[in-house]
Amino acid sequence: MTQAVIAGYVRSPFTLARKGALAKIRPDDLAATVVRGLVDQSGIDPKTIEDLILGCAFPEGEQGLNVARLITFLAGLPRSVGGVTVNRFCGSSMQAIHQAAGAIAIGAGDVFICAGVESMTRVPMMGFNPMPNPQLYKTMPEAYIGMGDTAENVAAKWNLSRADQEAFAVESHKKADSAQKAGKFTDEIIAIDTPDGTVTDDGCIRPDTTAEGLADLKPAFRADGVVTAGTSSPLTDGASAVLVCSEDFAKKNGLTPLARIKSVAIDGCLPEIMGIGPIGASKKALKRAGITASDLDIVELNEAFSSQAMVSIRELGLDPKIVNIDGGAIALGHPLGATGARIVGKAASLLKREGGKYALASQCIGGGQGIATILEAM
Amino acid sequence: MSDMNTGIKQVAVIGAGVMGAGIAAHIANSGTPVLLLDIVPDGASDRNVIATSAVAKLQKADPAPFMNKRAANLITCGNIEDDLGKITECDWIIEAVIERLDIKQALYKKIGAVRKSGSVVSSNTSTIPLATLIDGMETGFARDFIITHFFNPPRYMRLLELVASPATRDGVIDKITQFADHRLGKTCITCHDKPGFIANRLGVYWIQAAMTEAMDRHLTVEEADSVIGRPFGIPKTGVFGLMDLVGLDLMPHVQASMAGALPKSDPFHAIYRESDLVKNLIADGYTGRKGKGGFYRLNRSGGEKVKESVNLATGDFAKSQKARLESVRAAGKNPHSLMNFPDKGGEYGRAVMGKTLGYAAFIAEEAATAIPDVDEAMKLGYNWKTGPFELIDAIGVDALIAMLTADGIDIPPLLQKAAGKSFYKVTDGKLFCLGFDGDYAEVIRPDGVLLLEDIKRRSEPVAGNRSASLWDIGDGVACLEFHTKMNALDADVMAMLKTSIRTVKKQFKAMVVYNEGSNFSAGANLGLALFAANIAVWPEIENLIETGQATYKALKYAPFPVVGAPSGLALGGGCEVLLHCDAVQAHAETYVGLVEPGVGLIPAWGGCKEMIRRWSENPKFPKGPMAASAKAFEIISVATVAKSAFEAKEHLFFRPDDGITMNRNRLLQDAKTRALAMVEGYEAPTEITYRLPGETARVAFEMAVDGFWRLGKATDYDRVVAGELARTLAGGDTDITQELSEDDMLELEREGFMRLVRNPGTLARVEHMLLTGKPLRN
Repeated sequence: MTQAVIAGYVRSPFTLARKGALAKIRPDDLAATVVRGLVDQSGIDPKTIEDLILGCAFPEGEQGLNVARLITFLAGLPRSVGGVTVNRFCGSSMQAIHQAAGAIAIGAGDVFICAGVESMTRVPMMGFNPMPNPQLYKTMPEAYIGMGDTAENVAAKWNLSRADQEAFAVESHKKADSAQKAGKFTDEIIAIDTPDGTVTDDGCIRPDTTAEGLADLKPAFRADGVVTAGTSSPLTDGASAVLVCSEDFAKKNGLTPLARIKSVAIDGCLPEIMGIGPIGASKKALKRAGITASDLDIVELNEAFSSQAMVSIRELGLDPKIVNIDGGAIALGHPLGATGARIVGKAASLLKREGGKYALASQCIGGGQGIATILEAM
Repeated sequence: MSDMNTGIKQVAVIGAGVMGAGIAAHIANSGTPVLLLDIVPDGASDRNVIATSAVAKLQKADPAPFMNKRAANLITCGNIEDDLGKITECDWIIEAVIERLDIKQALYKKIGAVRKSGSVVSSNTSTIPLATLIDGMETGFARDFIITHFFNPPRYMRLLELVASPATRDGVIDKITQFADHRLGKTCITCHDKPGFIANRLGVYWIQAAMTEAMDRHLTVEEADSVIGRPFGIPKTGVFGLMDLVGLDLMPHVQASMAGALPKSDPFHAIYRESDLVKNLIADGYTGRKGKGGFYRLNRSGGEKVKESVNLATGDFAKSQKARLESVRAAGKNPHSLMNFPDKGGEYGRAVMGKTLGYAAFIAEEAATAIPDVDEAMKLGYNWKTGPFELIDAIGVDALIAMLTADGIDIPPLLQKAAGKSFYKVTDGKLFCLGFDGDYAEVIRPDGVLLLEDIKRRSEPVAGNRSASLWDIGDGVACLEFHTKMNALDADVMAMLKTSIRTVKKQFKAMVVYNEGSNFSAGANLGLALFAANIAVWPEIENLIETGQATYKALKYAPFPVVGAPSGLALGGGCEVLLHCDAVQAHAETYVGLVEPGVGLIPAWGGCKEMIRRWSENPKFPKGPMAASAKAFEIISVATVAKSAFEAKEHLFFRPDDGITMNRNRLLQDAKTRALAMVEGYEAPTEITYRLPGETARVAFEMAVDGFWRLGKATDYDRVVAGELARTLAGGDTDITQELSEDDMLELEREGFMRLVRNPGTLARVEHMLLTGKPLRN
């Protein structure tokens, strides 16, 4: 079997939806800039790329019409490069990486760009035309449950206090802020030109976040709830891209791989507690890699909400010190389709930067799923 | 908007206090860029901080100083030290700084040095005479200088008093009047350079008289306000409620400045008295509604809100007691019978209003150029329904003279001139008013002002019943007027609408729907609906809905143009009338919404179908089977009310190309012009069909409402009402492959309405609304 490696990772700045600096940028343009940035930075010959696999959670409007193919045009890639848009909600661009790894394994190509994009400004969550199946809603209303409600359910079931969730959020902002100040995002960010100037920095991080400040917020989803806007990832605009290729190709073309894709997994769970998705998926992936949680050196775990991230860390027995060391989505933001590629790319580059053998990237997915990727240092 | 070239393209306001900032906001409402400057506070890091924080405050204020969010972008904030040079771009510079002559004149010198030639400079002073302001200023400056006195809040108060000096060059007053009239919607009244101009001169006297007399005659504040309210066509806040509204702390300054400025011979001095009670209230923080209360306060100490009022003798607060004066009950709206009723209410009313009206006659010639200006000033500056001279006519000139004589008050010469006559009279359908010379002169409206009031004086309605009338407003245009209480819609309005369609088809070219009440229409007559529901005459109710639907549809497809011309509230059925007009020409101060869910109902006179149509036809809105219905659901389910005509366009209650008139008095003429412009080649709209998603949309909308319900933002019964609205806007049981006609949509509206009206939850809401005027959150 041909082994797939992560040979490059970039992303756009992540900025708040509507209020943020990327609100006026079309998502196809945003993703194209990031994809072009990856190609230029890696120095590969674009003609060698088999396909652009692009994750997007609400592929309609400016993200519609098989936007992946359109992005190849916008990014100036040769016509020979394909484009496919994949949707697994929040797991979309991690799914893109899995598909590339699978394709490489069966010899269906050597080089793939696995990207993700979401403008939560320009295409609203749920899309423009949410049309639930009335019959399914009647028999299984949780199939359409709102994400905030799942966060409340997880908090209730695992007995998480509001204060603990807020402490987790404060920590996420603190880590992201230090990383930003130390210039640790500079290498991964592709600057984006906008009508109001060039955007080079993340816009969601709030360094002044305090436990007291968060304690004043009103519950965001239930009148008597414990989840607030402060313990949820913000609506975000952003794009990310990862270069996935075969180990042989990397060697022959002088690329320096960041990490090898060791194993991947998908695992379904109850939709009403979708936030625990990473637990099952990560366990499967660890087993497939033949390692245990204690073998991990780096973990990138998407923080859709404090509650689900905390439960996942606890149930997987992860060492909090190795999780999201540059901050998580509560601070950085969560442009749905772009997050998966960000955390896999980030985990791979952290393995390189921090040293260590194994990294895990995992996230929960609306509708009740988890997705996980194990990386191995090279 | 009645637009015209006034030569004023940019304005500067200097002084970002309450008045200056409010004036700047309203100039921005007119679409005109404004520069707002204030001083640089000591040690400020942001040198524009006063202006920027004033604008930030404006954006949060309620009632809103801005007519739409975008207006705020037209204000450029700055400071006098760095940015005064920018006034070279400005055609009108308004000074609204502290009332100190030295500061104002120093500023004028700076302005004089940089302003462009021909620009107008005006002061918003309310206490310093114009002659004093320009004393020692160079001639060139004085030529371009006037007083423009706005009332607070500048967006909402329609009066603008203007004062020119003998040095003012020709054209300055005209230029500002044109702009303020057309673009700011103000009624401009030119006053003489006398203290308090017109409105405050009389208003301050009136307030002082009402306070002094109430204290001397031992009335409670409730009793005083009940007398000096409704019987005289004055807002029910009366005097003490009014002082709470404007702020108690303002009054001593204004009264003292008036006492200082008026000559000793002025009758004001006879009633002027500093009040220890008011001083103590202010010292204790009772500065009015902006503070912890004033003459009235809400006591929340016991956990619930208790309305309390101050005892004028002791200064102690006690639970507010409703006034029960026989005189007020017996007089109703008749000032003459109130003033002659032998109880303390009658005597108080006579003492206060007798003196006040006498003072109006005393000051009129000195302060104003004509009597109607005094009436307009009090109507627009103090919200009196009738001006002082109109009130004198209602009481009777001779009757008032007799009362004043009996009370030992000198009869002012102007009142003597009117003896045996009245101030106003109608001859041959024309309105005349007594001049200061003792001769009557016709009251002439400015060009472009057309009032139904005048048409009614000179003609009979073309058709009419007790709820609505059709008038001929000339040039082949008819005007349909509602005239019920709050212009609520009932079966007679519907009947008159049908008659009007028939009549206009035969005898006119176009129709305008307009009235001169405070409100265009507050919606369907809920009292009648509740009565019908209580005796369970469901077919009657369904019939009223069906008739309304058929009538509005006939209006929409009538073979002539129909222009809706609303002002004030246009809610529920009142909004639905407008949704069926070919075009709308709205007064900027129009408050529009489909508020039926507030009383547990859904729009059923075509409101749902028209909102879907408007959103689906809007080229700037995303397409798809759900989008238009979802937007309509978002707007209607929470009973969204647009708080200006500009906001109404954002919600598509009005179309993007519908017209907005800033000046209320110009609305009918603008609407008529618009209607006439549509006559040539007019074709009625063609019926459209709807393709709606059906049950899936209902489910999606209900999911959204359930989210709000879990958050505690929607009540149990909100879910029921929203469920019916969801079903209607979804197209019922339709499928995306099917087409629905307008009649199918109307049937869905009707079915949903009828299910709700039979529900006790809806009846409880209707009853609560009728009793309290507020929505019930069941």
